[in-house]
Amino acid sequence: MSSVKALGWRETVLRVDLSARKSWREPIPRDLLHAYLGGRGLGVRFMRDHFRLDPFDAEIPLIFAVGPLCGTPAPTAARLTVVTRSPLTGTIYDCSAGGRFAWRLKGAGLDAVVITGRSTVPVALVISPAGAEIVEVPQLWGRTVPDTVSALSGRGSVAAIGLAGENRVLFANIMMGEGNSVGRGGLGAVMGAKNLKAVVASGDRQTGIADPGRFDVARQDVMRLFRASPVIFGELGISEYGTPALVDLMRQRRMAPTENFRRTVFEESGNYSGPAIRRDYRARKDGCYGCPIQCKKSTPEGEPLPEYETVSHFGALNGISSLASIVRSNTLCNELGLDTISAAATLSAWGEARGRFSDADEVPGLLRDTAMRVGEGELLALGSRRVAEHLGRPGLSMSVKGLELPAYDPRGAYGMALAYCTSNRGGCHLRAYPISHEILRKPIATDRFSFSGKARIIAIAEDTNAAVDSLVACKFSFFGATLEEYAELLSAATGTDYSPQSLKEIGRRIFLTERFYNCENGFGAADDQLPERFFSEPGSSGEGIAIPPIDRGRFAEELQKYYRVRGLTPEGTFDDPDFLLKQP
Amino acid sequence: MLDQIAEYTHKLVADRAALPGEIAFAAQDDTIVAAGNPELAKLAGELLSRLSCLGMAAARPSLPFADFLVARAPREESHIVPRDTETRTFLHDIPFVRREALEAELAEAIARLLGNRKGVIVEGVGIVASGALTVEQAYINWSSVFHSAFVKYLQDVLHDGFLLPGEAEAFDAFRSGWLRPLTAEGLVFRDGPLADPAEILAEIAAVGRYTVERGLVDSFFGNISCKSGGVIYISQTAASLDALDGCIDPVPTDNSSTFGITASSELLAHRRIYEHSGAAAILHGHPKFAVVMSMECTERNCPITDCWKECDRVRFLGDTPVVAGEIGAGGLAKRVPPVIAGPRKAVVYGHGVFTVGARGFGDAFRAMVEVENWCRDAYFRALEGKLAKG
Repeated sequence: MSSVKALGWRETVLRVDLSARKSWREPIPRDLLHAYLGGRGLGVRFMRDHFRLDPFDAEIPLIFAVGPLCGTPAPTAARLTVVTRSPLTGTIYDCSAGGRFAWRLKGAGLDAVVITGRSTVPVALVISPAGAEIVEVPQLWGRTVPDTVSALSGRGSVAAIGLAGENRVLFANIMMGEGNSVGRGGLGAVMGAKNLKAVVASGDRQTGIADPGRFDVARQDVMRLFRASPVIFGELGISEYGTPALVDLMRQRRMAPTENFRRTVFEESGNYSGPAIRRDYRARKDGCYGCPIQCKKSTPEGEPLPEYETVSHFGALNGISSLASIVRSNTLCNELGLDTISAAATLSAWGEARGRFSDADEVPGLLRDTAMRVGEGELLALGSRRVAEHLGRPGLSMSVKGLELPAYDPRGAYGMALAYCTSNRGGCHLRAYPISHEILRKPIATDRFSFSGKARIIAIAEDTNAAVDSLVACKFSFFGATLEEYAELLSAATGTDYSPQSLKEIGRRIFLTERFYNCENGFGAADDQLPERFFSEPGSSGEGIAIPPIDRGRFAEELQKYYRVRGLTPEGTFDDPDFLLKQP
Repeated sequence: MLDQIAEYTHKLVADRAALPGEIAFAAQDDTIVAAGNPELAKLAGELLSRLSCLGMAAARPSLPFADFLVARAPREESHIVPRDTETRTFLHDIPFVRREALEAELAEAIARLLGNRKGVIVEGVGIVASGALTVEQAYINWSSVFHSAFVKYLQDVLHDGFLLPGEAEAFDAFRSGWLRPLTAEGLVFRDGPLADPAEILAEIAAVGRYTVERGLVDSFFGNISCKSGGVIYISQTAASLDALDGCIDPVPTDNSSTFGITASSELLAHRRIYEHSGAAAILHGHPKFAVVMSMECTERNCPITDCWKECDRVRFLGDTPVVAGEIGAGGLAKRVPPVIAGPRKAVVYGHGVFTVGARGFGDAFRAMVEVENWCRDAYFRALEGKLAKG
């Protein structure tokens, strides 16, 4: 390996053993960085020898990884990914977040932090360019996220768990001090199981760029495409209204999950639409470090306001129309360290099972009980699949592989239906993000009520997004820009030429590696299935739009097509047991 | 897939952009299908097998401009860089493969270039373009390269004259044979103001079709709207103007709803134009001669180099004002509305034409035809002057 440091990357990983209370830096081979980029890809590669471990095994790695564009002026690239195995789904799991933490970590001279072991007492990991320190923080155990952030913010940017993570709630999140979250999959519970209350980063080293002139041209190209995108900078787009801009659209397309997906239109959704939030909360623009879009919205006092998934699930999914209640639920989840999507969806499944959805006044208590694992919360803390199974109504969990579905009803977008199932981390909308073309018409519109071509489209998008998650850039960038411009940014930053095609090939490697891990842990075609409801019950048709049940035969045919596109067996598994050995 | 291939093959013929019989598409789902001209279909299929995309278009253009651009390019060049806004924004540049580089590994060489860009000019073969997600996207990218090459070639000839054997003759054939008179004759427009939503949607769809049929857009992009009461009915982003049924968003002017997030990227420009002009209908297209002539500036020693976005002057093509401004939220929405109210028409530098109708689309459509015809005449006058000077 050359002694010259690669630009873009730091070529360094911080390894932390909480059991032994020690940490040390190691070089990352440059070939590995080229092959996996960073973020999700690098984290997945680091899991190669550990993916069979139970998520609560002390030796399971919890990996924080940034990308080669983090710390540069590349738009939306100040992000990181956390990778481990999910206690909620049992799959390999990655989840990304913005805020300031990522560039502070990169500024400490690191591409990744790999944390193993378990501390005997609550600790915080404090990282600076000079080194890393494991600090005992018993006084913070039992404290909310804001309290923890407040106590530690003097030492840098904070990523912390709340009570939910401490209590190993299966959908506990990791919160960034600025209000962003590593939201899904229960990664906060893995952190809690290690007795790790927080990670603090305080680096400020700049990231080198190999060709600043070329980089600036590419950056301008990206910004031009952002400005040309109605979804990003349009007057009704996410920069103005945040992701709740989607509330009215999903209502109009009749695909807003309502009352645990029994219906797909909630007549009172206007109460929590983008314009309603702006009006009632005087929402101001907010967002991740250096991001030009600023899609987050907060109150003038700085309180983060809920995103689309949160308003829709604490709203329509639970039959609640009060915006004040939804905002309160969002704030409470942030304080307790709960994933809002899974929390709301679990409440909804539980509500249907007991014959009554929770009313607005009950929700805060239930969320607290969940985080504390007391009363009804003891069961709710397990997520909707386990709740529904416990109550003898397994069909009421609207999840795939145990991950609760977000706020896009699959009966209204068939690519989304397929992508929920093929996602390596369970029912997630972001792996292939077909809403982009099926609903938002980017980069081009596809027929949302057709499976035609969707197997290939989903596979391509999964590869693309695996690369995006490894750069690490925000998916919202790709409502305007494409891999063409981001490949150019990466090439200019690192001095190594990448193309959209080469990035998609890297993404494919990452995606298939994840799939291989899952298959080795017992996952297969039987897990790539939607809840029965979507095949047997219609959504809410009307206004000239029919929302019938999904054709089971056509879905199965497209899933098999997907397996063939991926080179998998009809059971969705790998023919080649040595697949991993052939990967760098 | 085969039905889509047939549809977009037909469109390339109807556009008169590609030569009938020299068009092929390939598409892949779990298998690759290719159809059309056998050699081009084979090439398209081979390219698709090397790339992570769903669709591929390979066709010989009906005009030799793309080949001429390659032949005129300095030997060390490997890309052409058109200066129109659509190309700058969405394609950046267009790589090419020279005739003498055509070898056994042609597919590999083209695939390398397509791995980085949406379309490639292959000298002596044609234009090849990929579609990441759909066959339609491959068609759009092919058409965009055709449009870019058309505009750049006309601009280059205007500046540098003919440089190659056969160029002048080919250009004459283009002028006398390919170009057709542009008129609004024979088209039927509803008289406004329109109030019934169903009637508005039908009229927008009809006028959208007219703009494509009369060649006022490249491939089918552009946008169109009609205002009635507190609602702007506007074509959706990435909507084909000849297929607008179901692709028109009624957007409340008070922004009380955001479901118009799928509306055209020029929604803000339309809104401001309505506010400034009091018009009832707006039409926006990319007629080629207007795009070319909008970039012809006589200003000398001007300090501005990024004219297409930075120029704050109002120039004129005849009596039509020309302003600069990037698309979407990039400045066009600020500069067009103040200049369009009087003349009812405006050209955006390197981009296209906006026209407005006081009551309906008839006036707007005729105004766009007039602007393009004026620019077409002005172009050939300027070219004749250039050629006469030698």
